[in-house]
Amino acid sequence: MSSVSNIINENISTVEEKVLKTPKPYWNPYLSGIGLGLVLLAAFVIMGRGLGASGAFSSLVAVGVDKVAPAHVQSNQFYEEYLGDGTTNPLKDWLVFEVLGVFVGGFISGALGGRIKKTTEKGNRISVRNRLIFAFIGGGLMGFGAKLARGCTSGQALTGGALLNVGSWAFMMMVFAGAYAAAYFLRRQWI
Amino acid sequence: MNAPFYKFNFFNDEVSLIIAFVIGIGFGFFLERAGFGSARKLAAQFYFRDMSVLKVMFSAIVTAMIGLFYLNWIGFIDLSLVYKGDTYLLPQIAGGMLLGIGFVVGGYCPGTSCVAVSTGRIDGIIYLVGVIAGIFFFGEIFPLLSGFFYSTNMGEITLPQLINLPYGLIVFLVVLMAISAFAGAEWAEKKFRNKKT
Amino acid sequence: MTKFFNKLNLNNKLAFIAIVLGLTALIIGSPTNETKVTINPNDLALMISKGADHIEVEELADWIIQGKMDYRLLDLRDDKSFNEYHIPTAENVPLSELMNYQIERNEKVIIYSEGGIHSSQAWFLLKSKGYKSAYFIIGGLDEWKDEILFPSAPADSTSESLAQFNKMKEVSKFFGGSPIESTSNTTEKVIVPYLTMPKIQTTAPVGGTTKKKKKEGC
Repeated sequence: MSSVSNIINENISTVEEKVLKTPKPYWNPYLSGIGLGLVLLAAFVIMGRGLGASGAFSSLVAVGVDKVAPAHVQSNQFYEEYLGDGTTNPLKDWLVFEVLGVFVGGFISGALGGRIKKTTEKGNRISVRNRLIFAFIGGGLMGFGAKLARGCTSGQALTGGALLNVGSWAFMMMVFAGAYAAAYFLRRQWI
Repeated sequence: MNAPFYKFNFFNDEVSLIIAFVIGIGFGFFLERAGFGSARKLAAQFYFRDMSVLKVMFSAIVTAMIGLFYLNWIGFIDLSLVYKGDTYLLPQIAGGMLLGIGFVVGGYCPGTSCVAVSTGRIDGIIYLVGVIAGIFFFGEIFPLLSGFFYSTNMGEITLPQLINLPYGLIVFLVVLMAISAFAGAEWAEKKFRNKKT
Repeated sequence: MTKFFNKLNLNNKLAFIAIVLGLTALIIGSPTNETKVTINPNDLALMISKGADHIEVEELADWIIQGKMDYRLLDLRDDKSFNEYHIPTAENVPLSELMNYQIERNEKVIIYSEGGIHSSQAWFLLKSKGYKSAYFIIGGLDEWKDEILFPSAPADSTSESLAQFNKMKEVSKFFGGSPIESTSNTTEKVIVPYLTMPKIQTTAPVGGTTKKKKKEGC
């Protein structure tokens, strides 16, 4: 009897190994892109708006600042925009819920692809500590830049790009330009 | 014209939040499918080793753009009710530059960092903390920036409107540009893949 | 052609499809031509016969009193007439400017003119432009004066018609009008130019305020 359960346990763990732990190759990028495009199209058709990401974090920051120093936000138009007039909870925001979905969707795909791993992504020529410092600085630059540009690559490049917005295309070109320009100086982090 | 459904009150705000969540799941799913939970894969774009960022982004843009064009043509969607957002030319150019630099420094963009976090990347978590810090910093110095922030507002303007060419022509040109970019990307990958990482 | 297509690998197939779609888009050109419109005459005829094309003055009066602001009320007359008197909450949009006026296609639009004829014609124009919720006020401003501002006592004295008249008296007073009590009074109903506009308790105005939360940005 115990041997049967042993066999079962063994099989379960090998399935676990194979399905959940061994990373599978990524999808064809064009197909992933088409999938992404269809999700974006669905957002347009259902909601009359596109996707986004940075906006959710702006709401988070605004709520945080409001909790800590409510008087401070009164005079600041930027926070006001994300807090509204107080009739609805600022976190009951479309983007906030969408971003929560992004976490979940990423997890599902990662789990199915056996790609969930506690790790730090970096090249070989840099230490974990320095990589994390750069991650923070990079995030800061992008948070700041995303507010200036009214969006990040999801909101401006993808959404605005599909809508053929002038500002979004200009933004997108600059993102690529800036990244390629900076790439040489940061090559030690990645290659 | 039945779409966008939300604008015609097919459902209320609460339901739209659920829809947001579901759409977000789709968004995150395909981002991870493409491998964008990995900063190394994302950054490889800018060393010409792995051009997935370009391929995914432009495939998505072309797909949605074509979808919008045809749905508008058959009268299914009312494009005038789709939120476009104003173009603020200078701030968006400046923001884009900062974002590009931040991309190579940080290794993610806000959307992909969420995917990274949910697949276990520690640098993704730190990156997100950085994003929040960056937004907070922006908020704090906003009174100083607001002049620049609101400058060069061109209103809601699209490429067809700007260069006064038909919508369909622009769609065609974008498709051509994307296909050429893809061809270039395939070539670049072949050429640079041999370099040892 | 299909043989050629089948020989391509996946990526090239996708590229082929994209180019075909792009070329077709090029041929289509500009899908929305502002000078030509498409209507469904059967639909419209049905709406007209069912009375789904107009509203009564009493309904509008009710909405205004309740402060329901989920509509845009447009006065199609010239601005001189508008300034003399207009139904509260109305915006002045002369008929000639109606087609260029900024209104989203998912908003509820109510239009009125002096007697109602122009507004019923304009209703057709709005429907042809794709407005889903468009209504004209049947009888126009004349009806508004007759029924709301200066309601007359009923000819018969049944309890229902008297109750109705009493209700209309209150409505009339709300709008600053004066009910006509006795039927023998045949004085001209003159609209005093400085008729006091009633204080309307409104809910949040249509179109969003500056304090509203940023809803659709990124």
